[in-house]
Amino acid sequence: MTLALELQGIVKSFPGVIALNGVSLAVERGSIHALIGENGAGKSTLIKIITGVHRANEGTIKVDDRIVHFVNPRAASREGIGVVHQERNLIPRFSIAENIVLDRIAAKTFAPINYREINRLGEQWLRRLELDLDVRRPVSSLTAAQAQMVEIARALSLQSKVLVLDEPTASLTSHEAEALFRVLRQLRDQGVAILLVSHKLEEIESLCDCVTVLRDGRNATSSGPLAGYDRAALVRAMVGRDFALEQAARIGFTSTASNSVPALELDGVSTSLGHRDISLSVARGEIVGLYGLVGAGRTELAKSIIGLHPIVSGELRVHGRAVRIGDVNSAVHRYSLGYVSEDRKAEGVILMHSVLANAGITIWARLRGALRLLSDSRILSNVDPLLRRLDVKAASRHAAVRNLSGGNQQKVSIAKWLAAGVEILIIDEPSVGIDIRTKAYLHQLIMNLADQGTAILLISSDLPEMVALADRILLMKDFRLVSEIANDKDYTKISADIMSRIQAVAFD
Amino acid sequence: MAKSILRQEWLGLAVIAVLGFVVMATLRPSFLTPFNLFVLMSTFALATLIALGQMVTLAVGQLNLSLGSVGGLVAVSFAGLMDVWHWSAAPSLMAGLALGALAGALNGILIAQFELSAFIVTLATLAMFKGLNLALTKAQPFYHIDRIVSAFGNASIGGPIPAVLIPTVMATAVVAFIFYRLPIGRQILAVGGNSSASELSGISNKRAVITAHVMSGALAGLAGMVAVARLQLGQPTIGEDWLISSFAAPVIGGVALTGGHVSIVGTLLAVVIVALITQGLVLFAVDPFYVQLVLGGLILVAVGLNSLRSLLPIGYSSL
Amino acid sequence: MAVGRSSRSQPNEEASTALGLLLLIVIAFAVFSWTATGFASPYNLYTLTRTAGLNVLLGLAMMVVIATGGLDLSVGATGVASAMFAGYLMQDFRFQMVIAIVAALCFGGALGFCNGFVVVFARVHSFIVTLASMSIIFGAMIVLTKAESVRDLPASFLALGKIRWFGYLSPMLIVSVAIGALIAIMLRWTDLGREILASGASSRAATLSGVRVGSRIITVHALSGMLAAAAGVMLSIRNGAMVPSMAGNLGQEWLLPAFLAPVLGGTLLSGGRAWVLTTVLAALLVTELTSGMLLMAIGEFWVQFALGSVLLLAVLLEKGRSTLMGTGEGI
Repeated sequence: MTLALELQGIVKSFPGVIALNGVSLAVERGSIHALIGENGAGKSTLIKIITGVHRANEGTIKVDDRIVHFVNPRAASREGIGVVHQERNLIPRFSIAENIVLDRIAAKTFAPINYREINRLGEQWLRRLELDLDVRRPVSSLTAAQAQMVEIARALSLQSKVLVLDEPTASLTSHEAEALFRVLRQLRDQGVAILLVSHKLEEIESLCDCVTVLRDGRNATSSGPLAGYDRAALVRAMVGRDFALEQAARIGFTSTASNSVPALELDGVSTSLGHRDISLSVARGEIVGLYGLVGAGRTELAKSIIGLHPIVSGELRVHGRAVRIGDVNSAVHRYSLGYVSEDRKAEGVILMHSVLANAGITIWARLRGALRLLSDSRILSNVDPLLRRLDVKAASRHAAVRNLSGGNQQKVSIAKWLAAGVEILIIDEPSVGIDIRTKAYLHQLIMNLADQGTAILLISSDLPEMVALADRILLMKDFRLVSEIANDKDYTKISADIMSRIQAVAFD
Repeated sequence: MAKSILRQEWLGLAVIAVLGFVVMATLRPSFLTPFNLFVLMSTFALATLIALGQMVTLAVGQLNLSLGSVGGLVAVSFAGLMDVWHWSAAPSLMAGLALGALAGALNGILIAQFELSAFIVTLATLAMFKGLNLALTKAQPFYHIDRIVSAFGNASIGGPIPAVLIPTVMATAVVAFIFYRLPIGRQILAVGGNSSASELSGISNKRAVITAHVMSGALAGLAGMVAVARLQLGQPTIGEDWLISSFAAPVIGGVALTGGHVSIVGTLLAVVIVALITQGLVLFAVDPFYVQLVLGGLILVAVGLNSLRSLLPIGYSSL
Repeated sequence: MAVGRSSRSQPNEEASTALGLLLLIVIAFAVFSWTATGFASPYNLYTLTRTAGLNVLLGLAMMVVIATGGLDLSVGATGVASAMFAGYLMQDFRFQMVIAIVAALCFGGALGFCNGFVVVFARVHSFIVTLASMSIIFGAMIVLTKAESVRDLPASFLALGKIRWFGYLSPMLIVSVAIGALIAIMLRWTDLGREILASGASSRAATLSGVRVGSRIITVHALSGMLAAAAGVMLSIRNGAMVPSMAGNLGQEWLLPAFLAPVLGGTLLSGGRAWVLTTVLAALLVTELTSGMLLMAIGEFWVQFALGSVLLLAVLLEKGRSTLMGTGEGI
């Protein structure tokens, strides 16, 4: 057995969290190796260590049985680690060929560029991927799938022995994904080791030879052939015991007279972002889950509901009344509708501002007095009880949110909606990058909110979380709702059900 | 690069320039007199250098407010070397180019090495170079410049074609060669287009930023010296009115404000259009201060069109 | 828990910056009193406080826009154009002074509103919008006024320029400081000011929390235009005339003092943090340095060089401070 890449005992800690705690990984030459795990399991940290973005606190990395130290991404690529990130790293106005051989352009200063040579090289690598494109086209004119292929070509042009792909199919159609898989199999047969990070178990089963499962910053399984696992076993390894904790959860939601009119209702809604014919309803006190793969259009739907993007047809009803929400301001203040963003640092909180400023932002307009005057103490008396209840740990209410842990930041992000007392709350990926304890706490909080009558639309890619919290689960794919599942909290059954339904649609 | 795309970018500008030329020539026959064409092309020569000086900083995704100030400082130094120290034209020219490049290097190093905002750094050096200029000259012009320089400023190289076009043509060729053929030029554009991708591919972003500012300073210096040749004296106020036009031409010419893309042909056409408008106002005896109104309006229209265009999805980069 | 790596809250940082500036003001005062003849004379203090009034207004005009992460290059053009507008109302239409001044403030506010409107709806950075509008406003002003000054002004207006309190104090500084106090109250004690800062700190997070970021950006540009107009009127009072070139070609000469005060005062260019007290103190310090150096007769030209260096020094210090504190707030 020849290992192209071997990691042993990798430990990586950030201030306040241990992201990886003794992780090992072994990728064989000429194999496609899946790296899977839930959100927050440590996959992306591990990838960043393999590609030289982060440095491990402990542990060794070996490439071709040689110990290597990556001080930066360049060092990793010199050792033969090629990577294709989830976001594109291309120069938009440059040609395909120039992007493929960008490293050569970086290496010289004044020697005039021979474009014929560059185009020849670019074509050669594209041909290896069986791609028929004019290499002189600017990459800004390519589709997402083509642009990704250009990045794979670039990684190969660096004589990569290991090719790391982070969620490569996230933004591809199933047809494009198939084409990608053909290329990956070919590369494997040529001896390249491929490390693939993915959420999609079905594509892993059809594509990969080996697998490593991470959970909570540790190996849930050591690296080994995929043949030993069926899907249920993989899911068990990913989810582990935590799920049992969560299952203690929620007593089912029952429809009563008081909630017979849905708090939020979409009827045949299409949006400018491409959603078609979306119909759903959320009653008071109900948690409706919206599950789907990355890129299915869930966050985009949430942002359309709160007025960030226009709804082009169909009807949006709040408490039975048809409404048109022009911007987030009226969503919050007229229709009592709030949105907890998945992108906490960029959209959920204002990092440089204080806890107080963040938690009170939704009620400033309501609390202001004559001449719009508004004092800190007035805001404090309104939000402090909430911050206490949420047990937000900060040096003071005036400390910048930047200095809080991820979990406490998330509590602040939710606190502002509690302060505003919204009746409808859309929660997007509430527990990404949050430690287990806070996660359990947040789940309890979401359930309590529902029990108190808030209508909750929950978006999550975390299947156990979804099963633990939601009363009903809607499946979204390609900007459409494809299915609805009544959640009876039997995880094994529901997860298999969801997977089979999403797969069924995929092969339509 | 596909010819069709290139053409699309500046075709509209070319049509406007040609139309403007035809309209002026038919409405005002005096427009086509050799003297008028000579003046027009002299204006074009100077304005092109100024526009290119700003274009190279826009290429890397930054800007240079001190462009005019550097131009003024180099202009008076160039004239002062000849007037006070009696240097001849050639070494003074070399010294001027070096000073411009040095001033640009100072901007670039402060921005890249200390990671400061290009806006604030060049606003500060704008004041510093201006202060140096006035301290050197006591706000008085240097009159006694080398005869070769003053002759050059008035000379024609055949018919209405002014000699001052020579440095402009040479500088344009060099800039074009750097951006389209040399790795360092491509590196500047790569940094402007996607700085994290360029860093990952091993490009030194700092060096690219500094190089762009050095080029900007050298071009500003050259423009200052061309202005000396045209005015026949080292006027300390040279460069004071370059700010708006330096941005107008590249922006109208389709250079991306966010960096990563230059259009040399588009910028040249925009300079032509602006020069035609200025000339037109003179020929039609309109208050020349309308030029400022028109320039400001053109900038707004150009960026407005750009932001409209960016709303139309084309490839992944527009998502 | 990564709690409280820096438990320093914002008021403390503001206080320490203010103390530092105050200390520099006192030291500079002592040094200049000793080295520059006539620096501490009542007349010099009077002219100093008069200029300081102008610089405070310019700094505030820029600060409110920087608070949202934008900037306004057209302050000079707007200020001069608004002052000319007031001048014509008084000279040609015999408007009462107070009405003319109020009209000028509204005029400046309207110009600023247009800036903000274009920034928000064309989704273009305020740099390029205000660069264009500075050219348009100044060009239109010159065309309309034929570059001629307004000098036939009512006596009451001219008299304003001669008021002198206690022999050494110009009321212009008091007016500017009072305006500064109002802006400070707005930023810290009203929902409007809080929303402006939230928009600057993170426009996405603010939008998703229900803040109308676009209208806040328009608000600060309009406010900036009003403050620029006030500065223009103030300078005209000092000159006893409205002169089209009083802020240089295109109003460019106001840019340096307008940026010096907020940057020296610790306002983040990326937005989200703006301190009025320190901006006012920084404007005072800049005026004091200018006046002192002019009196020392080191040459007017070196003053400009020195002020440019001070701006560089200020951004370098801020960079060093944020790197040391590890807050990573870029300037």
